[in-house]
Parts: sequence; structure tokens; C-alpha cells
Amino acid sequence: MPTSKAETQGIVNLSGVLYTDRAAALKKELEEALAGSGPVLVSLSLVEDIDLACLQVLYAARRSAKALGREFHFVGSIPSRLCKRLCAAGFLRGHPERTEDIEAGLVEF
Amino acid sequence: MIDKFKAAFREESYELLSQLEDTLLELESQPRNGELINAAFRAMHTVKGSSAMFGFETISKFTHEVETVLDQCRAGTLPITKDFIGLTLKARDHLRRLLEFEEPPPREVVADGETILARYRDYVATGAGLKPAPKVQDAAVTGEGATAPESTLQAQEGPSGPGPAAHESGLSTYRVFWKPKPEIFLDGTRVLSLVEELVGLGEAAVYPHTEDIPPLEAIDPERCYCFWDVVLTTQKTENDIRDVFIFVEDRSELRIERLAEAFLDEEGRAKRLGEILVERGVVSPESLREALGSQKRLGEVLVEKRVASKAEIDSALVEQEHLKKVQERSDPAAGSIRVASEKLDALVDLVGELVTLQARLSRTSFDLQDGPLASISEQFERLISQLRDNTMSIRMLPIGSTFNKFRRVVRDLSLELGKEAELVTEGAETELDKTVIEKLGDPLVHIIRNSLDHGIEKPSAREAAGKAPKGRILLSARHSGAYVLIQVADDGRGLDRDAIYQKAVERGLLAPGQEVADDELFLLIFAPGFSTAKVVSAVSGRGVGMDVVKREIDSLGGSVSLSSEPGRGTTITLKIPLTLAIIEGLLVRIAEEFYVIPLSSVDGCIEIRRSELASYGERRILSYRDELVPFVSLRESFETAGEEPEIEQIVIANSQECRVGFVVDQVVGDYQTVIKPLGRMFKDVEGVSGATILGDGTVALILDVNRLALAAQRDGAKRAARGGER
Repeated sequence: MPTSKAETQGIVNLSGVLYTDRAAALKKELEEALAGSGPVLVSLSLVEDIDLACLQVLYAARRSAKALGREFHFVGSIPSRLCKRLCAAGFLRGHPERTEDIEAGLVEF
Repeated sequence: MIDKFKAAFREESYELLSQLEDTLLELESQPRNGELINAAFRAMHTVKGSSAMFGFETISKFTHEVETVLDQCRAGTLPITKDFIGLTLKARDHLRRLLEFEEPPPREVVADGETILARYRDYVATGAGLKPAPKVQDAAVTGEGATAPESTLQAQEGPSGPGPAAHESGLSTYRVFWKPKPEIFLDGTRVLSLVEELVGLGEAAVYPHTEDIPPLEAIDPERCYCFWDVVLTTQKTENDIRDVFIFVEDRSELRIERLAEAFLDEEGRAKRLGEILVERGVVSPESLREALGSQKRLGEVLVEKRVASKAEIDSALVEQEHLKKVQERSDPAAGSIRVASEKLDALVDLVGELVTLQARLSRTSFDLQDGPLASISEQFERLISQLRDNTMSIRMLPIGSTFNKFRRVVRDLSLELGKEAELVTEGAETELDKTVIEKLGDPLVHIIRNSLDHGIEKPSAREAAGKAPKGRILLSARHSGAYVLIQVADDGRGLDRDAIYQKAVERGLLAPGQEVADDELFLLIFAPGFSTAKVVSAVSGRGVGMDVVKREIDSLGGSVSLSSEPGRGTTITLKIPLTLAIIEGLLVRIAEEFYVIPLSSVDGCIEIRRSELASYGERRILSYRDELVPFVSLRESFETAGEEPEIEQIVIANSQECRVGFVVDQVVGDYQTVIKPLGRMFKDVEGVSGATILGDGTVALILDVNRLALAAQRDGAKRAARGGER
């Protein structure tokens, strides 16, 4: 199973390649995480690649979390391949390394 | 006051004419590059305008005529031939000459200008009779006109040419808007990969619009909500950019707009946010004017009034930042100020005085053993050291500024000699002290002329030898520690070992049959009056020149080496110190006298007992790191009186040819050395290259390691000979 939801509600561990074919499943998973009451924590540590469809879903989840007054954060390290891709497509400015800086650096996230 | 303006005009004109020379030389190899013709035209136009403003009537009239001809080339009604380039280079030289005179210039100078203009008129008359040349830019776009009139130079660009949007530097900036259709994901298109591919075409600033992404509950995960604004500076053409999206063009909205080559406004400032927004069609000029009336920041006002979205403002800001960066890079002068070099020299002198004074302060604080004073002295020393480095860095210039003039030398001389040659440069960005660069000009001209005259063969001879008819001279520069290595490498016939050997024997520099290594033999071409040329030409052959090169490089504290391979070419390497003003030195003492050895030459120090030293006798060679190193007593060399100490020091230094040891009484330590020239009286003193003032006001001489090493070698040979006689 490339994607697994931890027992603690609100933690989403993602892995493998996140292309369009996984966007719907990701949406569902994030919706479940948002259904809880605690902060939503997403780990991208094991993600090998991502494309726009899944990235949009992450953006959407973050916006929903904000509207609900819920915290939404990335946890763990973010693979450099992912950061490179986000930088090249303009979503990430500079080349931050720490997860919190990456989260803060995402354009209009 | 007007004199001050005139001086500024002259300075700017010299700079423009220097740029014009580069442009014309480039145009010679890319005659259909419209941007280069435009650049030549602009340079002439600016000189014309400013000269008229400051009353240089002759210059203004002359440039007007040349500008008219250039305009015809620009319009495509006159071809650009090698002759035209030659003539315009002459016109450029003439303008440079005119700048040296006040108005009116001497008659004969004006007459020279008339001759040039008459040749232009002939050119126009003949050129007008030719089939009109294709319009420069159109030719590049369509590839038509590839069969230009015979007298027209053939473009030597790659198959795709510079493209319609090529900038003088070959770079253009495009504004790309890409909005994929919502269903683009359905066929598996990897959108981020396409953006990445686009960005890979050059230097880009990317702004992704994410404002349409809805909240999670409303998102259709298989629908695309994002679109992009990209500003791309690249050598690629619009078609290359379009090619990135070739498979998705029907499923996206793609707009590519080439930005005007100058993204600065008329006053030379980077484009303002408002201008970019108007250009992008985000706001109308009227809304902009209205918003500018407010005290708040423009972006905030426009968002508040809902004239523009925050994303549109942010995207425009990203573009502004990118353009600023690109402009600064293409025009290093932007954000800089022009300072007279004399002021800079005066600053360096003052820093030199400060360094000397600081040494005195350190000495005094040490003598007084005063804690607070020592602390101030240390802080002062750190600051002075930073000030010294900063000041010296201001004087550092890229060596490329000198390289450019050699292109003209190669062009003119190869025409004169009936040869074909190109000058390729590498490492033009390598920085060297301004004074050193100024002194390098003449030696490099000598070397390059020699390479062309003696090295590069005539096209027929090259072809017979299986080489390309066009010779190549590579002029390169790179840093190597405290030195810069400058190489002139040609792919010519190489040095004639036998001829050099024979000449050396004839001149008594070698004994008949004496064995000598290639590199040693080749260095003899730097001996005064040494030439193997059978015919003395206007260019070379008198044996004057290469010895001057050696002398000049020696005077810079540098060295020359040479390697050559028959039929493959010759490489001359100049090793030049980075600066001539302040160096790190090793302060040593002999009796009551102090000397400085440049730290960059020092390899190590050895302590030795006097008795042990005496045991070497006449054989002054010691073993240092498994190598036999000759050594010389500086006490003897400088005939210093007094008793040697019980324990002496040998400083091992690397000279141009070998390692050598200098026996001194004491090594005091490293020392920031402000180099003062010795003056005419002492310029011929061997073994000393300058002097410096120490903290207590005494003078220390700076040792010329190369000369002393040579003297040590000579002495060694004499001693060995004496030893042999015994």
C-alpha cells in the first residue's frame, strides 16, 4: 500500500509517485483527515515524485483546513527531488531545506 | 565647468568606440545579425548626438555621414562586406583620433576623414548597384537570402542562426503565459514536467497562479486549475519555446511575447510595477494614474480597488525582479559609479600609508606592553586588513577588457600577412590589478603578433599539413594562487628547434654540440636580438620584441615559460602576480637590516647551526624534502657586515626556474607589505624589486626571488667549476 493513514487521526503518510491517477484517492484521504478534530499532518518523506493534480489537492486541503480553523502542516523531511520540481514550476521560492521553511515558502499555500 | 563635461564626453566616447570595435568584429562573422547592426548604429548615433552638444562639429559631421550609411545597412539596402567592416573600423579609428583634438582639428586629420567618407560614398554607389540585400532580420527569420550577393559575407552562425529575437549577447527575454485546459490531466499529460522543460531553456522567473484552486470539498481532482506566467531569458527562439508545448497546444492557451530589448525606462531604471501591469493588460493607464495618486503602495491600492488581483501583482513583481537581475548582469555598469583612476590610485596610496602606520602602532603597543592599547591595535589591524582587501578589490578589473583589443590586432595583421586566423579567448572574467593589466597590453601584443607571423602558416601550407586553413590563437587567463596564468597558444608550425639551436651556437649562447633541454633552448628566443627569421618584416624578425616581453614580465614580478611541438603549435605562459601594490611578505633580518620575501614564493623555513652550514663548504646544496636545493647567503649577496648568529635560518623559496634557499639571521614573521618603487637610481640593482617601510620607520628591501635564484645558480656553477679545478 503506497499510501497509509496512521492510526492517529489527522496524520497522512504519503509515498511513491503522486500522479493524476492517485489524485482522487488523495482527496479522499485528506477529507478523512480533515474530518477529525486535531491538526492535519502530512508526511511527504517517502514521496518519489508529484505532479500537478496531487499538488492541487494538497493546496485545496490546506485551504479547507484554514477555512475550518484547523492546522495543516507537513512533517518529516521533504525529498530534494520534490523540492526541485516545486522550485522549477515556481511553487517554491529559493531553495529552502527545512520542512517548515518549505511549507512557508510555497506560493499562496 | 565645460571642460569637465568635455572630458566626460571624451571618456564616454572612448568607451562607445571600444564597444563599436567589438560589435564590428562580431558583425564580420555574423553579417546578418540585425541586433549587431543596430548596436553599431546606436553607438555612432550617440557619439554624433553628444559631439554636437559639446561643440565637436567635425566629429558630429563625420559620424552623421557614417551613421547614414549604417542606416542603409540596417534597412537592408546595403550589404555588409568585409570591406565595409574594414572601412567602418577605420572610421572608428579616425573618430578616436579626432577625440584627441580640440575643435577645429588639424587640416591633415580632417583630410584623412574626407578620404574615409569618399570611400563610403564609393561603397554606397557600388553597393546600391547590387541587388538589394535581404532585410537583415527577415533573412534571419525566414532563412531566405542565404544566397547573399557574392561580396556579402556569409553568416557563420550555427544552422539555426541567432534567431529573430537574438540580443547583442544572444539572449532575449520572453513573457510566456500558459494556461492548460481543465481536462489536460485526462490524457496523462505531466504538467509540471512541461513547466520544468520550459524553465530549462534559460533563466526563468516563474509564477504559478493557484488562485482558482477551490477548497478540498469542491475540487475535482482530475481537473487542472493552475496556470503560469513565466519570464524567460534565453538564447532560444520563440519557436523553441513553442516546441515545449507542441503536444498540448490544442489543449491550452499559450501566449509568447518577446519583451523589448531594453527593459529599462528612458532614465535607465528598471521597469516599474505599473508599467509591467499596463503592458500585461492587467490595468489600464487611467486606473494606474488614479492609483498612483494614492500615498499607499501601488500594488496594495490596485488590490484594494479590485483593479488587479494579488496574484497578478505578485506575478508582475516576479517579472520586475527577473528583469532587474538580467539587466544588471548584461550591464555590469548598472548600479556602479565612474571614478577617475587617479582617485583610486590615491586611495590605494593612503591605504598603504595606513598599513604602514598600523605596523607602527602594533610595534608600539608591543613595546609598551599595554593591554588596552594592544586590544585597540588588534582591532585596528583587522579593520585595516579588511580595508586593504576591499580597496585592492576595487582596483581589480576583468582581463577581458584587454583581450578585446587583441581581436582587432589579429584581424588586421592576418589580413596584412595574407593569413587566416581567429582569436579565441577564455577566462576573460579573470580579475587582475588595474596596474598589472595596463602593463600587460604591450607584451601580449608582441606575443600575439609573433604567433601570427612565425607560428600560424599561410592557408595553403596549413591545408598541405592537413590542418584547417584558418589558424587559431587561444588567449586564456586563469587564477593560480596569488598569480594569474595567461597563455597564448597557437596551432601553427611550432618552434624550429634546429634553427634556434644553430642561432644560439652562432651567438655563443651555447657551445657546439652542447646538450640542452627543449624548454631551456626555447627560452633563448627571449634573449635580446635573438631571431631565427631569415627575412625581416614590418611585423617581426629583428629579434626585438620578445626580449622586451621578458623584461616587462620580469618587471611585473612575473615569469615566462614556453612549450612547443613541431607542427602542432606553441604555447607561451605568463605567470603574473595579482597585484603590485600590497603583498603578503615574509620579513627576515640579516644583522640590522630587514628584507621582505614575497610570501607567495615561500615554501618553508629550516633552522641550521652555523657550524653545520660551514660544513657545506663550497657545495651550497642542501637536501630539502628529498630534493637537492641550492642555497645562497643573503649576508654575502648583500655584503652585510657583522657576525652570523649561532643558529641561522634558511628560507626555501620557489623561483621561476627552481627552488632556492636564502640563508638569513632571523625569520621575523609575515608582514603586510606596501610596495614602494625603488626609483630610477636603484632600478638596476639586481635581486631587489622594491622597498617597504616598516612600523618603526626603517626601510626593508623586497627581494626579487627569480633574479636571486638565477644568481645562485650562476654562483653554484662557478663554485662547482672551482671545485673541479682543485
